[in-house]
Amino acid sequence: MENGRPLLSVRGLSHSFRTAEGSRPVLANTQFDIRPQEFVCVVGPSGCGKTTLLRLIAGLIEPSSGEILFKGRRLEEPQPEIAVIFQDYSRALLPWRTVAGNVALALEARNVPRNEHAARVDALLRQLGLAGHANHFPAQLSGGLQQRVQIARCLALDPELLLMDEPFGSLDAMTRQTLQDEVSRLLSVNKSTVLFVTHDLEEAIYLGDRVIALEANPGRIVEIIEIKLPRPRNQLTTREDQRFLEYRHRVFELIERGQK
Amino acid sequence: MIDWRRLGRGLVLPILFLALWELLRAAGVLPYETLSQPSLIARATLSALADGTLLYATWQTLEAATLGWAIAGAVAVLAGVLLGLFPPLARMTSLSVEALRPIPSVALIPLSLLVFGFGLRMEVAVVVFAVFWPVLIVTSSGVRGIEPNLLEVGRALKLSVARRIWKLVLPAALPSIAVGLRLGAGIAIVVAVTVEIATNPWGLGYGMINASQSLRADLMFAQLLWIGVVGWGLNVALLRIERRWLAWFWSAREAAR
Repeated sequence: MENGRPLLSVRGLSHSFRTAEGSRPVLANTQFDIRPQEFVCVVGPSGCGKTTLLRLIAGLIEPSSGEILFKGRRLEEPQPEIAVIFQDYSRALLPWRTVAGNVALALEARNVPRNEHAARVDALLRQLGLAGHANHFPAQLSGGLQQRVQIARCLALDPELLLMDEPFGSLDAMTRQTLQDEVSRLLSVNKSTVLFVTHDLEEAIYLGDRVIALEANPGRIVEIIEIKLPRPRNQLTTREDQRFLEYRHRVFELIERGQK
Repeated sequence: MIDWRRLGRGLVLPILFLALWELLRAAGVLPYETLSQPSLIARATLSALADGTLLYATWQTLEAATLGWAIAGAVAVLAGVLLGLFPPLARMTSLSVEALRPIPSVALIPLSLLVFGFGLRMEVAVVVFAVFWPVLIVTSSGVRGIEPNLLEVGRALKLSVARRIWKLVLPAALPSIAVGLRLGAGIAIVVAVTVEIATNPWGLGYGMINASQSLRADLMFAQLLWIGVVGWGLNVALLRIERRWLAWFWSAREAAR
Protein backbone atom coordinates (compact mmCIF):
# COMPACT_ATOMS: atom_id res chain seq x y z
CA MET A 1 0.00 0.00 0.00
CA GLU A 2 2.94 2.28 0.67
CA ASN A 3 4.37 2.06 -2.83
CA GLY A 4 2.99 3.55 -6.02
CA ARG A 5 2.07 7.12 -6.74
CA PRO A 6 -0.90 8.64 -4.94
CA LEU A 7 -4.33 8.48 -6.56
CA LEU A 8 -5.19 11.91 -5.24
CA SER A 9 -2.93 14.74 -4.07
CA VAL A 10 -4.24 17.79 -2.31
CA ARG A 11 -1.68 20.62 -2.52
CA GLY A 12 -1.90 23.83 -0.50
CA LEU A 13 -5.66 23.85 -0.80
CA SER A 14 -7.52 26.87 0.63
CA HIS A 15 -11.09 27.95 0.27
CA SER A 16 -13.05 31.00 1.38
CA PHE A 17 -16.73 31.77 1.16
CA ARG A 18 -17.77 35.26 0.13
CA THR A 19 -20.04 36.81 2.71
CA ALA A 20 -21.56 40.25 3.21
CA GLU A 21 -18.57 41.29 5.36
CA GLY A 22 -15.96 40.03 2.93
CA SER A 23 -14.54 36.56 2.63
CA ARG A 24 -14.55 33.96 5.38
CA PRO A 25 -11.85 31.28 5.16
CA VAL A 26 -13.18 27.75 5.70
CA LEU A 27 -10.17 25.72 4.69
CA ALA A 28 -6.54 26.81 4.95
CA ASN A 29 -3.47 25.33 3.28
CA THR A 30 -4.59 21.72 3.33
CA GLN A 31 -2.18 19.11 2.09
CA PHE A 32 -2.39 15.31 1.94
CA ASP A 33 -2.30 12.31 -0.41
CA ILE A 34 -4.60 9.35 -0.86
CA ARG A 35 -3.00 6.14 -2.10
CA PRO A 36 -4.86 3.55 -4.17
CA GLN A 37 -7.11 1.20 -2.14
CA GLU A 38 -6.75 3.33 0.94
CA PHE A 39 -9.65 4.17 3.26
CA VAL A 40 -9.02 7.71 4.55
CA CYS A 41 -11.32 9.31 7.09
CA VAL A 42 -11.60 13.05 7.67
CA VAL A 43 -12.86 13.96 11.10
CA GLY A 44 -13.37 17.29 12.79
CA PRO A 45 -15.86 19.53 14.55
CA SER A 46 -18.56 21.36 12.62
CA GLY A 47 -17.16 24.34 10.77
CA CYS A 48 -13.82 22.64 10.07
CA GLY A 49 -14.54 22.62 6.35
CA LYS A 50 -14.66 18.85 5.96
CA THR A 51 -17.71 18.92 3.70
CA THR A 52 -16.16 21.78 1.73
CA LEU A 53 -13.04 19.67 1.28
CA LEU A 54 -15.15 16.83 -0.10
CA ARG A 55 -17.06 19.13 -2.45
CA LEU A 56 -13.78 20.56 -3.73
CA ILE A 57 -12.45 17.08 -4.51
CA ALA A 58 -15.80 16.20 -6.12
CA GLY A 59 -15.24 19.16 -8.44
CA LEU A 60 -18.55 20.73 -7.39
CA ILE A 61 -16.85 23.95 -6.26
CA GLU A 62 -13.56 25.57 -7.23
CA PRO A 63 -10.84 26.24 -4.64
CA SER A 64 -9.73 29.80 -3.86
CA SER A 65 -6.13 28.65 -4.10
CA GLY A 66 -4.05 25.50 -4.23
CA GLU A 67 -4.72 22.50 -6.39
CA ILE A 68 -6.03 18.95 -6.41
CA LEU A 69 -4.25 16.38 -8.55
CA PHE A 70 -6.22 13.29 -9.52
CA LYS A 71 -3.98 10.60 -11.07
CA GLY A 72 -1.43 13.33 -11.60
CA ARG A 73 -3.77 15.63 -13.53
CA ARG A 74 -5.17 18.86 -12.18
CA LEU A 75 -8.83 18.44 -11.24
CA GLU A 76 -11.12 21.23 -12.44
CA GLU A 77 -14.58 19.69 -12.81
CA PRO A 78 -16.45 16.58 -11.67
CA GLN A 79 -14.54 13.49 -12.82
CA PRO A 80 -16.26 10.38 -14.15
CA GLU A 81 -13.96 8.22 -11.99
CA ILE A 82 -15.00 9.95 -8.76
CA ALA A 83 -18.36 9.17 -7.18
CA VAL A 84 -20.02 11.09 -4.34
CA ILE A 85 -22.32 9.70 -1.68
CA PHE A 86 -24.27 12.56 -0.16
CA GLN A 87 -25.27 12.69 3.46
CA ASP A 88 -28.89 13.50 2.80
CA TYR A 89 -29.94 10.30 1.03
CA SER A 90 -33.62 11.23 0.99
CA ARG A 91 -32.86 14.26 -1.15
CA ALA A 92 -30.23 12.59 -3.31
CA LEU A 93 -32.56 9.90 -4.66
CA LEU A 94 -35.09 10.53 -7.42
CA PRO A 95 -38.44 10.03 -5.68
CA TRP A 96 -40.21 9.23 -8.95
CA ARG A 97 -37.89 6.36 -9.81
CA THR A 98 -37.92 2.93 -8.22
CA VAL A 99 -34.87 1.59 -6.42
CA ALA A 100 -33.76 -0.15 -9.63
CA GLY A 101 -34.41 3.04 -11.62
CA ASN A 102 -32.31 5.11 -9.24
CA VAL A 103 -29.36 2.75 -9.63
CA ALA A 104 -29.85 2.68 -13.40
CA LEU A 105 -29.46 6.48 -13.50
CA ALA A 106 -25.73 5.99 -12.98
CA LEU A 107 -25.58 3.56 -15.90
CA GLU A 108 -27.51 6.03 -18.07
CA ALA A 109 -25.03 8.72 -17.10
CA ARG A 110 -22.19 6.49 -18.31
CA ASN A 111 -24.04 5.53 -21.53
CA VAL A 112 -24.04 1.84 -20.65
CA PRO A 113 -26.16 0.01 -23.28
CA ARG A 114 -29.75 -0.45 -22.09
CA ASN A 115 -29.74 -4.23 -22.47
CA GLU A 116 -26.97 -4.50 -19.86
CA HIS A 117 -28.82 -2.42 -17.25
CA ALA A 118 -31.04 -5.11 -15.72
CA ALA A 119 -28.23 -7.57 -15.01
CA ARG A 120 -25.89 -4.95 -13.55
CA VAL A 121 -28.59 -3.36 -11.42
CA ASP A 122 -29.62 -6.80 -10.13
CA ALA A 123 -26.06 -7.64 -9.13
CA LEU A 124 -25.60 -4.33 -7.28
CA LEU A 125 -28.93 -4.62 -5.48
CA ARG A 126 -27.98 -8.12 -4.35
CA GLN A 127 -24.58 -6.91 -3.09
CA LEU A 128 -26.27 -4.26 -0.97
CA GLY A 129 -29.08 -6.46 0.31
CA LEU A 130 -31.73 -4.63 -1.69
CA ALA A 131 -32.81 -7.50 -3.93
CA GLY A 132 -36.38 -7.56 -2.64
CA HIS A 133 -36.81 -3.81 -3.03
CA ALA A 134 -36.07 -3.30 -6.74
CA ASN A 135 -39.57 -2.05 -7.51
CA HIS A 136 -40.14 0.04 -4.40
CA PHE A 137 -40.03 3.81 -4.41
CA PRO A 138 -37.50 5.50 -2.08
CA ALA A 139 -40.25 6.95 0.11
CA GLN A 140 -41.36 3.40 0.92
CA LEU A 141 -37.93 2.51 2.36
CA SER A 142 -36.28 3.17 5.73
CA GLY A 143 -33.34 5.59 5.91
CA GLY A 144 -30.78 2.81 6.04
CA LEU A 145 -32.19 1.18 2.92
CA GLN A 146 -32.33 4.53 1.10
CA GLN A 147 -28.65 5.10 1.85
CA ARG A 148 -27.90 1.61 0.51
CA VAL A 149 -29.63 2.62 -2.73
CA GLN A 150 -27.40 5.67 -3.01
CA ILE A 151 -24.30 3.56 -2.36
CA ALA A 152 -25.45 1.06 -5.03
CA ARG A 153 -25.87 3.93 -7.48
CA CYS A 154 -22.33 5.14 -6.81
CA LEU A 155 -20.83 1.65 -7.10
CA ALA A 156 -22.60 1.28 -10.45
CA LEU A 157 -20.19 3.94 -11.70
CA ASP A 158 -17.29 1.65 -10.82
CA PRO A 159 -15.47 4.63 -9.35
CA GLU A 160 -11.73 4.80 -8.70
CA LEU A 161 -12.36 7.14 -5.79
CA LEU A 162 -15.43 7.14 -3.60
CA LEU A 163 -16.25 10.29 -1.63
CA MET A 164 -18.61 9.78 1.30
CA ASP A 165 -20.04 12.77 3.14
CA GLU A 166 -21.20 11.64 6.59
CA PRO A 167 -23.14 8.84 4.91
CA PHE A 168 -24.32 7.27 8.16
CA GLY A 169 -24.74 10.51 10.11
CA SER A 170 -28.52 10.57 10.16
CA LEU A 171 -29.09 6.85 10.80
CA ASP A 172 -29.90 5.27 14.13
CA ALA A 173 -27.02 3.58 16.00
CA MET A 174 -27.92 -0.03 15.13
CA THR A 175 -28.40 0.66 11.42
CA ARG A 176 -25.19 2.70 11.40
CA GLN A 177 -23.09 -0.17 12.82
CA THR A 178 -24.57 -2.68 10.38
CA LEU A 179 -23.88 -0.39 7.44
CA GLN A 180 -20.36 0.41 8.66
CA ASP A 181 -19.49 -3.29 8.61
CA GLU A 182 -21.27 -4.20 5.40
CA VAL A 183 -20.02 -1.22 3.44
CA SER A 184 -16.43 -1.49 4.61
CA ARG A 185 -16.41 -5.22 3.75
CA LEU A 186 -17.90 -4.52 0.31
CA LEU A 187 -15.47 -1.71 -0.40
CA SER A 188 -12.44 -3.75 0.60
CA VAL A 189 -13.60 -6.63 -1.62
CA ASN A 190 -14.00 -4.12 -4.47
CA LYS A 191 -10.55 -2.68 -3.62
CA SER A 192 -12.12 0.79 -3.57
CA THR A 193 -10.30 3.93 -2.57
CA VAL A 194 -12.39 5.98 -0.16
CA LEU A 195 -12.40 9.43 1.36
CA PHE A 196 -14.89 9.30 4.21
CA VAL A 197 -15.97 12.46 6.01
CA THR A 198 -17.53 12.19 9.47
CA HIS A 199 -17.90 14.08 12.73
CA ASP A 200 -17.88 10.80 14.67
CA LEU A 201 -14.27 10.13 15.63
CA GLU A 202 -14.91 6.53 16.70
CA GLU A 203 -16.43 5.87 13.29
CA ALA A 204 -13.37 7.43 11.65
CA ILE A 205 -10.95 5.21 13.62
CA TYR A 206 -13.11 2.10 13.19
CA LEU A 207 -13.27 2.43 9.40
CA GLY A 208 -10.06 4.18 8.39
CA ASP A 209 -6.56 3.18 7.39
CA ARG A 210 -5.68 6.76 8.18
CA VAL A 211 -7.54 9.51 9.98
CA ILE A 212 -7.09 13.16 9.05
CA ALA A 213 -8.00 15.30 12.05
CA LEU A 214 -9.12 18.82 11.23
CA GLU A 215 -9.54 21.81 13.50
CA ALA A 216 -12.06 24.56 12.86
CA ASN A 217 -12.05 28.26 11.91
CA PRO A 218 -10.44 28.03 9.48
CA GLY A 219 -10.28 24.32 8.75
CA ARG A 220 -6.72 23.08 9.01
CA ILE A 221 -5.10 19.67 9.38
CA VAL A 222 -3.87 19.11 12.93
CA GLU A 223 -2.53 15.63 12.36
CA ILE A 224 -2.77 12.61 10.13
CA ILE A 225 -2.85 9.38 12.11
CA GLU A 226 -2.09 5.93 10.73
CA ILE A 227 -4.60 3.44 12.20
CA LYS A 228 -2.84 0.13 12.70
CA LEU A 229 -5.80 -1.97 13.77
CA PRO A 230 -6.14 -5.45 12.24
CA ARG A 231 -8.82 -6.15 9.65
CA PRO A 232 -11.48 -7.36 9.41
CA ARG A 233 -12.60 -5.16 12.26
CA ASN A 234 -15.35 -6.05 14.65
CA GLN A 235 -17.83 -3.80 16.41
CA LEU A 236 -17.10 -5.42 19.79
CA THR A 237 -13.49 -6.57 19.80
CA THR A 238 -12.04 -3.71 17.74
CA ARG A 239 -13.80 -1.08 19.79
CA GLU A 240 -12.56 -2.74 23.01
CA ASP A 241 -9.00 -3.07 21.67
CA GLN A 242 -6.52 -1.12 23.82
CA ARG A 243 -5.04 0.54 20.70
CA PHE A 244 -8.52 1.64 19.57
CA LEU A 245 -8.97 3.41 22.88
CA GLU A 246 -5.54 5.03 22.58
CA TYR A 247 -6.34 6.32 19.09
CA ARG A 248 -9.67 7.59 20.35
CA HIS A 249 -7.98 9.37 23.23
CA ARG A 250 -5.42 10.95 20.92
CA VAL A 251 -7.84 12.12 18.22
CA PHE A 252 -10.20 13.43 20.88
CA GLU A 253 -7.42 15.52 22.45
CA LEU A 254 -6.28 16.81 19.09
CA ILE A 255 -9.74 17.98 18.15
CA GLU A 256 -10.41 19.33 21.62
CA ARG A 257 -7.19 21.34 21.48
CA GLY A 258 -8.09 22.60 18.01
CA GLN A 259 -11.41 23.95 19.24
CA LYS A 260 -9.80 26.28 21.75
CA MET B 1 -62.52 1.67 -9.38
CA ILE B 2 -65.64 3.58 -8.56
CA ASP B 3 -66.59 3.45 -4.90
CA TRP B 4 -70.32 2.76 -5.24
CA ARG B 5 -71.10 3.17 -1.55
CA ARG B 6 -69.48 6.58 -1.49
CA LEU B 7 -71.23 7.55 -4.69
CA GLY B 8 -74.55 6.34 -3.24
CA ARG B 9 -74.08 8.42 -0.11
CA GLY B 10 -73.15 11.43 -2.23
CA LEU B 11 -76.32 11.05 -4.28
CA VAL B 12 -78.69 11.24 -1.28
CA LEU B 13 -78.68 15.03 -1.12
CA PRO B 14 -79.20 15.73 -4.84
CA ILE B 15 -82.09 13.21 -4.99
CA LEU B 16 -83.79 14.77 -1.96
CA PHE B 17 -83.32 18.18 -3.55
CA LEU B 18 -84.87 17.08 -6.85
CA ALA B 19 -87.79 15.46 -5.06
CA LEU B 20 -88.46 18.62 -3.07
CA TRP B 21 -88.25 20.67 -6.27
CA GLU B 22 -90.74 18.40 -8.04
CA LEU B 23 -93.08 18.50 -5.05
CA LEU B 24 -93.04 22.27 -4.68
CA ARG B 25 -93.64 22.63 -8.41
CA ALA B 26 -96.57 20.20 -8.33
CA ALA B 27 -98.06 22.11 -5.37
CA GLY B 28 -97.85 25.27 -7.49
CA VAL B 29 -95.46 27.09 -5.18
CA LEU B 30 -92.74 27.55 -7.81
CA PRO B 31 -93.38 29.32 -11.13
CA TYR B 32 -93.53 26.91 -14.07
CA GLU B 33 -92.18 29.28 -16.74
CA THR B 34 -88.85 30.08 -15.10
CA LEU B 35 -87.88 27.19 -12.86
CA SER B 36 -89.38 24.24 -14.73
CA GLN B 37 -89.40 20.95 -12.82
CA PRO B 38 -87.19 17.83 -12.68
CA SER B 39 -89.54 15.54 -14.58
CA LEU B 40 -89.78 18.00 -17.48
CA ILE B 41 -86.01 18.58 -17.39
CA ALA B 42 -85.43 14.83 -17.51
CA ARG B 43 -87.74 14.56 -20.51
CA ALA B 44 -85.99 17.46 -22.27
CA THR B 45 -82.59 15.85 -21.57
CA LEU B 46 -83.71 12.54 -23.03
CA SER B 47 -85.20 14.06 -26.15
CA ALA B 48 -82.12 16.30 -26.69
CA LEU B 49 -79.95 13.21 -26.27
CA ALA B 50 -82.17 11.20 -28.62
CA ASP B 51 -82.15 13.72 -31.46
CA GLY B 52 -78.39 14.25 -31.10
CA THR B 53 -78.46 18.00 -30.50
CA LEU B 54 -77.14 17.73 -26.95
CA LEU B 55 -74.24 15.48 -27.94
CA TYR B 56 -73.42 17.64 -30.94
CA ALA B 57 -73.36 20.79 -28.82
CA THR B 58 -71.21 18.97 -26.26
CA TRP B 59 -68.79 17.96 -28.99
CA GLN B 60 -68.54 21.59 -30.21
CA THR B 61 -67.87 22.94 -26.73
CA LEU B 62 -65.39 20.20 -25.86
CA GLU B 63 -63.59 20.55 -29.19
CA ALA B 64 -62.93 24.24 -28.61
CA ALA B 65 -62.08 23.74 -24.93
CA THR B 66 -59.74 20.80 -25.59
CA LEU B 67 -57.94 22.44 -28.49
CA GLY B 68 -57.41 25.66 -26.55
CA TRP B 69 -56.34 23.72 -23.47
CA ALA B 70 -53.85 21.59 -25.41
CA ILE B 71 -52.26 24.52 -27.24
CA ALA B 72 -52.03 26.68 -24.12
CA GLY B 73 -50.83 23.74 -22.04
CA ALA B 74 -48.01 22.81 -24.41
CA VAL B 75 -46.73 26.36 -24.85
CA ALA B 76 -47.13 27.26 -21.17
CA VAL B 77 -45.28 24.15 -19.93
CA LEU B 78 -42.38 24.86 -22.30
CA ALA B 79 -42.28 28.54 -21.33
CA GLY B 80 -42.69 27.70 -17.66
CA VAL B 81 -39.71 25.32 -17.73
CA LEU B 82 -37.56 28.00 -19.40
CA LEU B 83 -38.63 30.69 -16.93
CA GLY B 84 -38.06 28.33 -14.02
CA LEU B 85 -34.60 27.32 -15.19
CA PHE B 86 -33.30 30.75 -16.17
CA PRO B 87 -34.02 33.39 -13.54
CA PRO B 88 -32.78 36.27 -15.78
CA LEU B 89 -35.42 35.32 -18.33
CA ALA B 90 -38.05 35.28 -15.57
CA ARG B 91 -36.98 38.74 -14.40
CA MET B 92 -37.10 40.05 -17.96
CA THR B 93 -40.64 38.79 -18.57
CA SER B 94 -42.20 39.24 -15.14
CA LEU B 95 -43.54 42.74 -15.84
CA SER B 96 -45.21 41.62 -19.08
CA VAL B 97 -46.67 38.55 -17.41
CA GLU B 98 -48.02 40.55 -14.49
CA ALA B 99 -49.54 43.11 -16.86
CA LEU B 100 -51.21 40.61 -19.19
CA ARG B 101 -52.37 38.05 -16.65
CA PRO B 102 -55.05 40.13 -14.90
CA ILE B 103 -56.89 40.87 -18.18
CA PRO B 104 -60.16 38.92 -17.94
CA SER B 105 -60.10 36.38 -20.75
CA VAL B 106 -63.68 37.16 -21.71
CA ALA B 107 -62.64 40.77 -22.31
CA LEU B 108 -60.76 39.39 -25.32
CA ILE B 109 -63.95 38.14 -26.97
CA PRO B 110 -64.48 41.33 -29.01
CA LEU B 111 -60.86 41.31 -30.20
CA SER B 112 -60.93 37.62 -31.02
CA LEU B 113 -64.22 38.06 -32.89
CA LEU B 114 -62.68 40.88 -34.90
CA VAL B 115 -59.62 38.82 -35.81
CA PHE B 116 -61.14 35.39 -36.39
CA GLY B 117 -64.86 35.95 -36.92
CA PHE B 118 -67.43 33.50 -35.55
CA GLY B 119 -66.39 29.90 -35.25
CA LEU B 120 -63.93 27.53 -33.70
CA ARG B 121 -60.81 29.67 -33.95
CA MET B 122 -62.13 32.69 -32.07
CA GLU B 123 -63.32 30.49 -29.22
CA VAL B 124 -60.04 28.56 -29.09
CA ALA B 125 -58.06 31.81 -29.00
CA VAL B 126 -59.91 33.04 -25.90
CA VAL B 127 -59.52 29.66 -24.19
CA VAL B 128 -55.77 29.67 -24.95
CA PHE B 129 -55.37 33.05 -23.28
CA ALA B 130 -57.34 31.95 -20.22
CA VAL B 131 -55.50 28.64 -19.72
CA PHE B 132 -52.00 29.87 -20.52
CA TRP B 133 -51.30 31.94 -17.39
CA PRO B 134 -52.16 29.53 -14.59
CA VAL B 135 -50.26 26.69 -16.28
CA LEU B 136 -47.25 28.97 -16.90
CA ILE B 137 -47.09 30.14 -13.31
CA VAL B 138 -47.59 26.75 -11.69
CA THR B 139 -45.02 25.14 -13.99
CA SER B 140 -42.30 27.73 -13.49
CA SER B 141 -42.73 27.68 -9.72
CA GLY B 142 -42.57 23.88 -9.81
CA VAL B 143 -39.32 24.00 -11.76
CA ARG B 144 -37.86 26.65 -9.47
CA GLY B 145 -38.73 24.53 -6.43
CA ILE B 146 -36.67 21.53 -7.55
CA GLU B 147 -34.52 20.04 -4.80
CA PRO B 148 -31.03 21.61 -5.27
CA ASN B 149 -29.43 18.37 -4.05
CA LEU B 150 -30.88 16.57 -7.07
CA LEU B 151 -29.23 19.03 -9.43
CA GLU B 152 -25.98 18.46 -7.56
CA VAL B 153 -26.40 14.71 -8.03
CA GLY B 154 -26.85 15.42 -11.74
CA ARG B 155 -23.60 17.40 -11.83
CA ALA B 156 -21.70 14.77 -9.85
CA LEU B 157 -22.92 12.10 -12.28
CA LYS B 158 -21.79 14.36 -15.13
CA LEU B 159 -25.19 14.40 -16.83
CA SER B 160 -25.40 16.88 -19.70
CA VAL B 161 -27.66 19.92 -19.29
CA ALA B 162 -30.26 18.47 -21.65
CA ARG B 163 -30.33 15.18 -19.73
CA ARG B 164 -30.51 17.01 -16.42
CA ILE B 165 -33.63 18.79 -17.68
CA TRP B 166 -35.16 15.63 -19.11
CA LYS B 167 -34.26 13.22 -16.31
CA LEU B 168 -34.34 15.48 -13.26
CA VAL B 169 -36.11 18.82 -13.77
CA LEU B 170 -39.14 17.72 -15.76
CA PRO B 171 -40.05 14.71 -13.61
CA ALA B 172 -39.55 16.77 -10.47
CA ALA B 173 -41.93 19.43 -11.79
CA LEU B 174 -44.47 16.93 -13.11
CA PRO B 175 -46.81 17.03 -10.09
CA SER B 176 -47.01 20.83 -10.38
CA ILE B 177 -47.53 20.62 -14.13
CA ALA B 178 -50.31 18.07 -13.62
CA VAL B 179 -52.08 20.33 -11.13
CA GLY B 180 -51.73 23.26 -13.56
CA LEU B 181 -53.19 21.25 -16.43
CA ARG B 182 -56.10 19.97 -14.34
CA LEU B 183 -56.83 23.52 -13.20
CA GLY B 184 -56.56 24.63 -16.83
CA ALA B 185 -59.07 22.02 -18.00
CA GLY B 186 -61.72 23.43 -15.66
CA ILE B 187 -60.97 26.97 -16.83
CA ALA B 188 -61.11 25.88 -20.48
CA ILE B 189 -64.69 24.63 -20.15
CA VAL B 190 -65.87 27.67 -18.22
CA VAL B 191 -64.38 30.03 -20.78
CA ALA B 192 -65.60 28.05 -23.80
CA VAL B 193 -69.17 28.08 -22.49
CA THR B 194 -68.88 31.77 -21.66
CA VAL B 195 -67.73 32.62 -25.19
CA GLU B 196 -70.69 30.67 -26.56
CA ILE B 197 -73.15 32.45 -24.30
CA ALA B 198 -71.70 35.84 -25.20
CA THR B 199 -71.08 35.49 -28.92
CA ASN B 200 -70.31 32.24 -30.63
CA PRO B 201 -73.47 30.63 -32.05
CA TRP B 202 -72.75 26.99 -31.19
CA GLY B 203 -72.11 24.58 -28.37
CA LEU B 204 -73.72 24.18 -24.97
CA GLY B 205 -73.41 27.85 -24.04
CA TYR B 206 -75.32 28.94 -27.14
CA GLY B 207 -77.84 26.16 -26.58
CA MET B 208 -78.56 27.49 -23.11
CA ILE B 209 -78.92 31.13 -24.04
CA ASN B 210 -81.11 30.06 -26.95
CA ALA B 211 -83.35 27.92 -24.73
CA SER B 212 -83.55 30.71 -22.20
CA GLN B 213 -84.55 33.27 -24.82
CA SER B 214 -87.23 30.99 -26.24
CA LEU B 215 -88.56 30.43 -22.70
CA ARG B 216 -87.64 26.73 -22.70
CA ALA B 217 -86.62 26.56 -19.04
CA ASP B 218 -86.64 22.75 -19.14
CA LEU B 219 -84.16 22.60 -22.02
CA MET B 220 -81.95 25.24 -20.41
CA PHE B 221 -81.77 23.30 -17.15
CA ALA B 222 -81.16 20.11 -19.08
CA GLN B 223 -78.00 21.60 -20.61
CA LEU B 224 -76.94 23.26 -17.38
CA LEU B 225 -77.03 19.99 -15.45
CA TRP B 226 -75.40 18.22 -18.40
CA ILE B 227 -72.43 20.61 -18.27
CA GLY B 228 -72.05 19.79 -14.60
CA VAL B 229 -71.93 16.07 -15.38
CA VAL B 230 -69.44 16.56 -18.22
CA GLY B 231 -67.15 18.70 -16.05
CA TRP B 232 -67.27 16.19 -13.23
CA GLY B 233 -66.46 13.33 -15.61
CA LEU B 234 -63.54 15.23 -17.08
CA ASN B 235 -62.05 15.92 -13.67
CA VAL B 236 -62.39 12.27 -12.65
CA ALA B 237 -60.69 11.19 -15.88
CA LEU B 238 -57.78 13.60 -15.43
CA LEU B 239 -57.32 12.61 -11.79
CA ARG B 240 -57.21 8.99 -12.85
CA ILE B 241 -54.53 9.64 -15.49
CA GLU B 242 -52.59 11.65 -12.93
CA ARG B 243 -52.73 8.84 -10.37
CA ARG B 244 -51.52 6.33 -12.90
CA TRP B 245 -48.66 8.44 -14.26
CA LEU B 246 -47.64 9.90 -10.92
CA ALA B 247 -47.89 6.68 -8.95
CA TRP B 248 -44.65 7.51 -7.15
CA PHE B 249 -45.99 10.90 -6.07
CA TRP B 250 -49.17 9.49 -4.59
CA SER B 251 -47.37 6.60 -2.93
CA ALA B 252 -44.89 9.03 -1.39
CA ARG B 253 -47.79 11.08 -0.06
CA GLU B 254 -49.38 8.01 1.40
CA ALA B 255 -46.08 7.01 3.02
CA ALA B 256 -45.71 10.46 4.56
CA ARG B 257 -49.03 10.09 6.36
